[in-house]
Amino acid sequence: MRQITYHIHRFNDGKSFVQTYTFDYEEDRTILWGLQKIKETQDPTLTFVAACRSAVCGACSVKVNGQAMLGCESKIDDVTARFGSDEIEIAPIGNFRVIRDLVVDWEAKVDRLKTVAPWIHLKQDVEDENGVIRQSAADFKKFVMGTECILCGCCASECNKLTAGQDDFLEPYVYTKANRFVLDSRDGNKMAHVKPSYENGIWNCVHCMNCISRCPKHIKPMHDIANLRKEATQAGFENKGTRHAKAFKDDLKATGRLNEVSMSLKSDGIVDSAKQAVYATRLMLHSKINPLELVIPHKPVKGIDGVRKIIKKAEEAGK
Amino acid sequence: MKYAFFPGCVLESAAKEDYLATVAVAQKLGIELIELPGWTCCGASHVQDIEPAVTLATNARNIALAEEMNLDILTVCNTCTLMLREAKHEIDENEATKTQVNACLAEADMEYKGTSDITHLLWVLIRDYGLDKLKEQVVKPLTGLRVAEYYGCHILRPQEEMGFEDFQLPTSLADIISAIGATPIDFSRKLDCCGFHAVYPAHDSVMRMTGSINQDAVNEGADCVVTPCPLCQMQLDMFQKEAKAVVNGTGDMPILHMSQLIGLALGIAPKDMGMPHRHLTSTAALEKFI
Repeated sequence: MRQITYHIHRFNDGKSFVQTYTFDYEEDRTILWGLQKIKETQDPTLTFVAACRSAVCGACSVKVNGQAMLGCESKIDDVTARFGSDEIEIAPIGNFRVIRDLVVDWEAKVDRLKTVAPWIHLKQDVEDENGVIRQSAADFKKFVMGTECILCGCCASECNKLTAGQDDFLEPYVYTKANRFVLDSRDGNKMAHVKPSYENGIWNCVHCMNCISRCPKHIKPMHDIANLRKEATQAGFENKGTRHAKAFKDDLKATGRLNEVSMSLKSDGIVDSAKQAVYATRLMLHSKINPLELVIPHKPVKGIDGVRKIIKKAEEAGK
Repeated sequence: MKYAFFPGCVLESAAKEDYLATVAVAQKLGIELIELPGWTCCGASHVQDIEPAVTLATNARNIALAEEMNLDILTVCNTCTLMLREAKHEIDENEATKTQVNACLAEADMEYKGTSDITHLLWVLIRDYGLDKLKEQVVKPLTGLRVAEYYGCHILRPQEEMGFEDFQLPTSLADIISAIGATPIDFSRKLDCCGFHAVYPAHDSVMRMTGSINQDAVNEGADCVVTPCPLCQMQLDMFQKEAKAVVNGTGDMPILHMSQLIGLALGIAPKDMGMPHRHLTSTAALEKFI
């Protein structure tokens, strides 16, 4: 009889250990089914959370062979076929404090979620004479994707920025929740979501794309972060991130290509750049940067007039 | 085999060594690269964040330039590949977007049709050129060289736009490394992010990310790290000293672009690929393998 083996990363009373369980294979079963089978037939102390079994509640997210996914919608058949093994490693999702075994602490995460005021700031006088708030299909479509988020935490699990530091960045789903209200035509106070997002790390996203890769609902949290960056920039907020992006755009308009030397100065500001003079000297010694680029402008690319016309038209369309 | 070559901005300056290596490697392999005339910056994910309509239009122009040549675009940069593919994906999926973009391109008497694909040298060597043929071209097999294969994010994710291979179980880079006689180490951090795109605003976190990757390459006995992305290469090399201090690192790690490593196996002189001069971290440890 074919056997499936789970190597489960457990945690209890301050001790971490990996425990191995083996059970009979059954066709078309989920990862969560395997966990429940172990709990019912082998080890009642194994602790995990699950509720709806329909990919709606978001409770059963776990790391399967290093990747966060919903236990209830991930098939054992798919995992074994993809990884070429009947041995499966299961761990709690990453970047969360583990309470016990596969159960993680959402308490502190909810407080972080509140940072961006993820609730509607209803516009004045949007109700019609019958007290009904109407929204066009086109306006509804703008934000509906964000409402799909079930707070499973998969996007945060392998977020490389969160792993490197959680003090200056929030979980990707937090930004998705913020942007959901920014895009909602009924919300009259975009800045109530944009400003705290700006103040809490949107520019620190490293673009590792793990949030997009992991979301079981096909939401793209990084694109939500991008839209919040756009809103914050248009609202006049300025930091190293906005200056860096603007420097890129200025170069694109001016010559079509990047001037790395002036971009560093523009992004970091003169003071920080001066502090990095030693570093800059090292780069120069290895011909990585050419200080002459500061005084001798790049030659514009062939067809720059066309590029500028295209940009101008796109800017108008973008507004 | 012929491609419209999109070098990307860093290959013109800070990562000129990769330009030299890529052109030399293509020549040795008989892959014709014609630089896309008048290409512009892909936006590098930064302009996308503040002016998405602008980068969509300028990248549509980049692709339209290749369409005029009846060629697919080839890059050697993960982020350029992703930015161009994202633009193509967005336009091809939505007729209204295509109409909008073409209204912009019409200002320069151009049109986006959707006939050119965007690919990366890594994919071309495996899918189009063939590993067996690559093996035949090797004159200096890099026997004994232990290479940490480091993919970088944007060649793998998001899988919807990239999709060359399983984003969690990639083998392409390891296959190339094996084909030229070196040994891929099955690097534990092969899927990690170097942090390049937030090096200014998230400096401290990024130094930890960079330092951890380099240090684990040391811990796992690699002789060098190899990546298909000049941005990852720059990040891991140019910030190595500073990042090493942040993670209390114990060793130094040469960082090579994939084109450079292949070039060594094809017998191209290191100096013709900017080595060692253009590397901040010494590549001397590699000399015994060349």
